[in-house]
Amino acid sequence: MSNNISSNKKGSVVIVGGGIGGMQAALDLANSQFKVHLIQRETSIGGTMVMLDKTFPTGDCSMCMISPKMVEVGRHLNIDLHLRAEVVSVEGQPGDFKIKVKHAPRYVDPDKCTGCGDCEAKCPKRLPNEFEQGLSKRKCIYSLFAQAVPNTRAISAEHCLFLTRGTCKKCEKACKAGAINFEDKEKEIEINAGAVILSPGLDRYDAKVRGELGLGRWKNVVTSLQFERILSASGPYTGVVTRPSDEKHPKKVAWIQCVGSRDPHNANPWCSSVCCMYATKQSIIAKEHDKNIEPTIFYMEMRSFGKDFDKYVERAKNDYGVRYLRSMVSAVKEDPATGDLIMRYADEAGKLIDETFDMVVLSVGLEPHKDAAEFAKTFDIETDPHLFAKTSPLSPVKTSRDGIYVTGTYQGPKDIPDTVMQGSAVAGEAMALLAEARGTETVPKELVPETNVENAKPRIGVFVCHCGTNIASNVNIDEVVAAVKDLPDIAYVTDTIYACAQDNQEIIKKTVKDKELNRVVIASCTPRTHEPLFQDTIRDAGLNKYLFDLSDIREQCSWCHPGQKEESTKKAIQIVKMSIAKSRLQEPIKSEHVGVTPACLIIGGGIAGMTAALSLAEQGFTVHLIEKEDELGGLVRKLNSTLEGNDVQEFLESTIAKVLANELITVHAGTEVVNTDGFVGNFKTTLSDTNVIEHGTIIISTGGVEYKPTEYLSSESNKVITQRELEKRLASGEQFNPASKFVMIQCVGSREEPNQYCSRICCQDAVKNAIAIKEKNPASQVIILYRDIRTYGLRETYYQKARDMGVMFIRYDVDNKPAVSEEGDGIKVAAWDYMLNKELILHADLLVLSTGLRPHPSTESIGKMYKVTRNMDGYFLEAHVKLRPVDFPTEGIFVCGLAHAPKNLDETITQSLAAGGRAGVILSHERLMVSGIIAKHKKELCMSCLGCFRVCPFDSPYIGEDGKVAHNEVKCMGCGICAALCPAKAFQVNNFRDDQILAMIDAVTDCESGVVGD
Amino acid sequence: MDKVVESEEQAIPSIEKAHETPEGWEPNILAFACHYCAFAAADLAGVMRLSYSPNVKIIRLPCTGKLDQIYVLRAFEKGIDGVFVAG
Repeated sequence: MSNNISSNKKGSVVIVGGGIGGMQAALDLANSQFKVHLIQRETSIGGTMVMLDKTFPTGDCSMCMISPKMVEVGRHLNIDLHLRAEVVSVEGQPGDFKIKVKHAPRYVDPDKCTGCGDCEAKCPKRLPNEFEQGLSKRKCIYSLFAQAVPNTRAISAEHCLFLTRGTCKKCEKACKAGAINFEDKEKEIEINAGAVILSPGLDRYDAKVRGELGLGRWKNVVTSLQFERILSASGPYTGVVTRPSDEKHPKKVAWIQCVGSRDPHNANPWCSSVCCMYATKQSIIAKEHDKNIEPTIFYMEMRSFGKDFDKYVERAKNDYGVRYLRSMVSAVKEDPATGDLIMRYADEAGKLIDETFDMVVLSVGLEPHKDAAEFAKTFDIETDPHLFAKTSPLSPVKTSRDGIYVTGTYQGPKDIPDTVMQGSAVAGEAMALLAEARGTETVPKELVPETNVENAKPRIGVFVCHCGTNIASNVNIDEVVAAVKDLPDIAYVTDTIYACAQDNQEIIKKTVKDKELNRVVIASCTPRTHEPLFQDTIRDAGLNKYLFDLSDIREQCSWCHPGQKEESTKKAIQIVKMSIAKSRLQEPIKSEHVGVTPACLIIGGGIAGMTAALSLAEQGFTVHLIEKEDELGGLVRKLNSTLEGNDVQEFLESTIAKVLANELITVHAGTEVVNTDGFVGNFKTTLSDTNVIEHGTIIISTGGVEYKPTEYLSSESNKVITQRELEKRLASGEQFNPASKFVMIQCVGSREEPNQYCSRICCQDAVKNAIAIKEKNPASQVIILYRDIRTYGLRETYYQKARDMGVMFIRYDVDNKPAVSEEGDGIKVAAWDYMLNKELILHADLLVLSTGLRPHPSTESIGKMYKVTRNMDGYFLEAHVKLRPVDFPTEGIFVCGLAHAPKNLDETITQSLAAGGRAGVILSHERLMVSGIIAKHKKELCMSCLGCFRVCPFDSPYIGEDGKVAHNEVKCMGCGICAALCPAKAFQVNNFRDDQILAMIDAVTDCESGVVGD
Repeated sequence: MDKVVESEEQAIPSIEKAHETPEGWEPNILAFACHYCAFAAADLAGVMRLSYSPNVKIIRLPCTGKLDQIYVLRAFEKGIDGVFVAG
C-alpha cells in the first residue's frame, strides 16, 4: 500500500460498468455496508452476459441467471444507479476521490416512468435494434431489452421526430404517468467515494474489416453474437434457427474461429479465451433446437482449458456429432442464386477443398472499447500496448493508480466465472482499503412497529392495476373489481392506473390505515420483479410484509392472450381469486436473526490461503490459518517466476512475512482440522492440537499437487525431467551446453482418460522455460511436442515470442503419441509431423515432460467433513459454475486456488481475494437475517423417518440431541422438498403451506374456498 | 402380429371408456411452476407477447420439488382436466 492514502476515508465506491463483473462487485460491497454508485453508459445494466442465450459448459440459460441479480442490484438500498452516464474526471487520493459524472439526457423521468411501454407502441420511428445486433428493429423510445433494469424508457434524441423536427410527441400523449420530458438536459454531478472499480467490459472485433469472410456482404454470414441472438428464445427469431436471407432453416452451419484474434499482422495478437467454448456451445444448442443441423467448427487450436471444458468438447463431438476441422478458411463466397456459402480450406493432408454451407458464423474476438485510450486517460491509469488496463500477475486486480481497481475483460479477455471472481476480488480489495469507513455512508432502513394482526379476522384490500393500457386493453378491470368485491373477508377493492407508481405507494399506505386492512392483494404484474416493492410499501404501513400477495394478470394474462378480452378477463378474475384465497390464510412471519462470530478459518496455507487471510485481516477480521505442513507456502515454493517474469520466490517470502507479522492472523502450522460443527456465522472447529476455534466462515484452499509421471522413461532415465525441475535448474544458473537440444512433451497425464481435463498451466510453463533457454543460449534447440497450445488470453503474445525466437512447435495426436527411447547420452524421440506428413526423429539432450496438476489428496477427506461435493476429477465443485465460482452451496463456506481447479498463479490470487471478499460480506454483519420463506418443522407431528434428512440439498434437517429430527432454519432455503416428501406433513413452507395451495386450487375451480386439508 | 394385439386387448378387463370430446371443448389446465425457472419463463412468454390459450392458470411454487401429490389429486377432484408441472 502506498503512503498517500487519505486519512478521511469514504465508505462508498464508484463502479464504472454495470455488466456481470460490476454487478458482482456492487452486490458484495452493498451487502457489506458500503454505498455503491454504479455508472453505466447504456440505459440498462446487464452488459454482455444478457445478450447470451446459454452459457458453457452447463447450457444454463444466461438471462435466467442474471435477471434476479439485475433486479437485486436495481432495488438495493445501498446501490445508486447512474444510467446513460460516464465519468469525466477523477481527482483526489485513495480513500477520498472526487469523481465527476456526466449524465446524458434520457427524456423520460425515471421517478414517473413505470416501464409499461405504452409510449413504445405509439412511437412511429423504427431503428435498428443494437441489442439484437441489428437483426430486428426497435422504436426510438425504447428499453434496451425485455428484462431491462431499470425498465425506464429512454429516447434516442438523434432520431426522435420531435427533438429533431419539432413534430410528433406521440409518446407524450400515450404516457398516462406524464413521464416524458423533452426538456431533459445533460447534467454533471460530483461523487465523493473512497475507491473506484473499473468494469467497462468489452467490444467485439469488427469482422467487416476482414472483407474476405463476407460479413455485411453475404447475408447468411453472421457474427457469433448475432448467432447468440438467433438462438435466444427472446431473440429476433424466437429461438428458431433461421438464416437471415430467406428465413430458411439452415442445415450445414460452419463456425470460423479466431476471427480478429491471434493475428498480429491484420487484427489483434491475443487469444480471446472464450471463442472455442462458445462456438462449441452454440453448435450444441443449435443442434438441440434443430436436430437437422450439421455443425462444423474450423479452428486452429481447441482451447478448452477451463474446468470441465474438455469434457464438453468431447460431448460435442461424440453425442452431438459436431465436426471439428483443424483448418483456417481463407475466404467465403456466396452462391448468388441460393444464398449458400462456399468455403475453401485445406484439409489435414493439405488438399484444397471447396465445401458449401447454408450459414456461416464468425467467432469474433474480444477487444477493449474503441475509446479505451481516452478511458484510461480519464482515470489516469496505465494500459498495456493493447489498451487493456495494466496489472501485475501478483496483484491482478489493481491498476497502476492506487485505489482504482479493475475487473472483467478490461483486464484481459476472460469468461463469465473469471469475471465474477474478479468482481468479488475487487470488492474484497475495496473493503480492505476502506475497512474503517464501512457503514459510514449507508443508512439502515427505519421501520415502523408492526401492527399485531394475530387472531384478527382477515380484512383484505385488493388493488387491480390497469398498467396504463397494458392490462386494461385486454382485461375488463371493472369486471374484475366487481367479481371480487363481495367475496368473504374483502374489506376494500379499487382499481389503479399504475399500482407501482411512486404516488400510488402513498395511496396504498394510506388505504391500509384508513380501511384497517390486514392483508393486501395487488393484481398487476409479476411477483418476480414487483413483490419486494409492494412488500416494502405495506411494511411502511405497519403490516408484516408477508401479508401480501401479487396476482400476475399482465405477463401471465393480458399480454399472452391478445384479442381474447372476455377469456382474459375471466382468467384474471380466477387469478385474483386464487390470490385472495391464499391471502386469507396468510399469517405474519417473523424473520429470525443469528449472531456472527467475526472470524474466518482458512484451511491450507499456500498462496491461496495466505492471500485470502491477508484480505480478511486488512478488512479487520480475525483469521485462523491452518497448514498441514510445518511451513507456509504450498506448491508455489517450487515456482521461480511467472510467464511474465515476476520473481515468485521473493513474492512468496514477502507474503509469508506479512502473514506472520499480522496480529489478526494466527497460523496453526503442522495442524489439521479434526472436526467442524455449526452453520454460517457460527462454526466451531476442533484442530489436531486439540485447540477449539469459533468462527463465522470457512475458506477451503487445500491446493493441489503435481502429477508424478510414469510415462516416457521418466523413472528410468535422468535425461527425462519435468518442467518444474527444468525451471529450477535454469533458475539456479546451471550452464547448459550452448548447443543443447531440448524436447518437451505436453499433456503428460492430462487430457486423456482417466484424467480427461486440461491442467491449464503446462503450455505457459513450457513456453516460459523455452524462452528462458533461448534467452540464455540462442543456439540451443527447443522443440515442443503439443496437442493444442493453450496460451489463452494475453499469454498468446509469449507463444508468439517463443516462435519468433525459433522455438519449434510440432503437433502430435493423442492416438499417435511420440515414441521415446534411450540413445547414447540422450533420448531419441520419434514423432509424426502432420505438416510434412512424415515421421520425424528428434535427438534430445534433455526430454522435458509437461506434467499436469492433481487435487491435493486431502481434498477427499475435507470434502467429506464439510459435505461439499467434488467433480469427477476430484476438484471441489462450486455452488454455480458461472455466477458463484468461489461459494459452496453450503452458506458461509468458500473455495479458492487449486482446490477448485487447475489455474495459473494470477488466477489463484484473484480467486483468493474473491474468497476473502465473499467471506468478508458475511463477517461484516453483527447478525444475519434468516429469510421468511423457509420450511417450519412441527416436532410433535414428526416421526423422525429421516426422509427430509436424506433429500434436503442444504442439510438443514439434522438429528438433535434427543435422537429425533430437528431443523436448522438458518440453513433452510425454503425449496419445500422436505414438505412434499414428509409423510406426516411435519414440514410446511411459510406462505406456500399446503392449506394455502389447496385453497388456491379450490378458488380457481370456482369452489368455495376456505380452510381445507383437514 | 395382429392376433397377439387382439388377444392382449381381450385380456385387459374393461375399464371406463374415455368420454367423447364435445365439439369446441377446451380443457381446463392448472400449471404448477417453479418460481426460478418455469414461472420466469411464463413471464417471458408474456413479455414477448407469445400467445397461448387462456385456459391455463399458473400456481407458483418455490421449487417443483414442493409439489405434493395431494395438489394434483385435489385439482382433478375439482374438475381440472390437466395438470402441468414445470420446473
